[in-house]
Amino acid sequence: MSNFEDADTEETVTCLQMTLYHPGHQRSGIFQSIRFFNREKLPTSEVVKFGRNSNTCHYTFQDKQVSRVQFYLQLFKKFDSSVVSFEIKNMSKKTNLIVDNKELGYLNKMDLPDKCMIRFGDYQFLVEKEDGESLEFFEIQFFLSTRPLLQENNWLPQKPIPECGSYSSCSTHNNSPIEMGDNEW
Amino acid sequence: MERPLTVLRVSLHHPTPGSATFAYVPPQLEHDTSPLLVGRGPDAHLRLQLPRLSRQHLSLEPYLEKGGARLAFSLKALSRKGSVWVNGLTLRFLEQVPLRAVNRVAFSGIQMVVRIEGGTSLEAFVCCFHLSPSPLIYRLHAEETDERESVPQEQPPPGSGQ
Repeated sequence: MSNFEDADTEETVTCLQMTLYHPGHQRSGIFQSIRFFNREKLPTSEVVKFGRNSNTCHYTFQDKQVSRVQFYLQLFKKFDSSVVSFEIKNMSKKTNLIVDNKELGYLNKMDLPDKCMIRFGDYQFLVEKEDGESLEFFEIQFFLSTRPLLQENNWLPQKPIPECGSYSSCSTHNNSPIEMGDNEW
Repeated sequence: MERPLTVLRVSLHHPTPGSATFAYVPPQLEHDTSPLLVGRGPDAHLRLQLPRLSRQHLSLEPYLEKGGARLAFSLKALSRKGSVWVNGLTLRFLEQVPLRAVNRVAFSGIQMVVRIEGGTSLEAFVCCFHLSPSPLIYRLHAEETDERESVPQEQPPPGSGQ
């Protein structure tokens, strides 16, 4: 008990929550390598790669249409900021990456908004950042959506967000996955 | 037809004569489009032997500006203890800046001048290293280094000018 009381205060950790969707995920097991719900802790200097090649990527998709390295995320700190930010870079020569309404070609990069939609091919990733204090580590946590995250009139970042509401088909207020029954396909 | 590689002409200087700081620096280093790591550790692509240098001290990352045809580069500080001075700006851990055509960089007593000669290849780039016996950066103030070391005496710029 005294160890707990005397120990240094733990810093909170920035967490990047990613909700993944692909229309064929149930048939083809493309997300089988992803450990959903698990919060994985990574050093802030890490370059986090996403793609098909398990030798080089942290997170892989079992899909031949995905590039060996599709994109990567890395942290940086803006000047005069106490929190870390994320940057996304498209590493695919074949497929452009769309972040909200911005299109990234090969080797293009941009700051990742705190809440945004990443799309490439049929993949849709809803990303939300929870700020933390630590500059040493951050966490990534994945959720699975069985419903499309991007629907018409549903994700329009230019429109103001109503005070009362969230986006109708994807709840991001909590850490629970979006649950849908099989019959709802 | 192969496209010409972007060349980074990197001049390096350390004030201690005969030091082994640059013992592992090759004349030339070709690297892919991943960040090029500079530091003391075995994972560094450019290994510099200096005890006070971090294992990963900084990175040079190639990328493409939107609509651009030639590689641009970003320098990021990776040292938790030290800082990196770049073109008058001091970078702390995880801070980064885009590089210009000619860049003056200083860290842990090392001076580095990086000149970017754009090629059109998007596959890789090459670093050509030159070890300079004389200082590369003049009028570098103590607060712009991460060590309390003596300020180089102000001297006339070299023939090429700085």
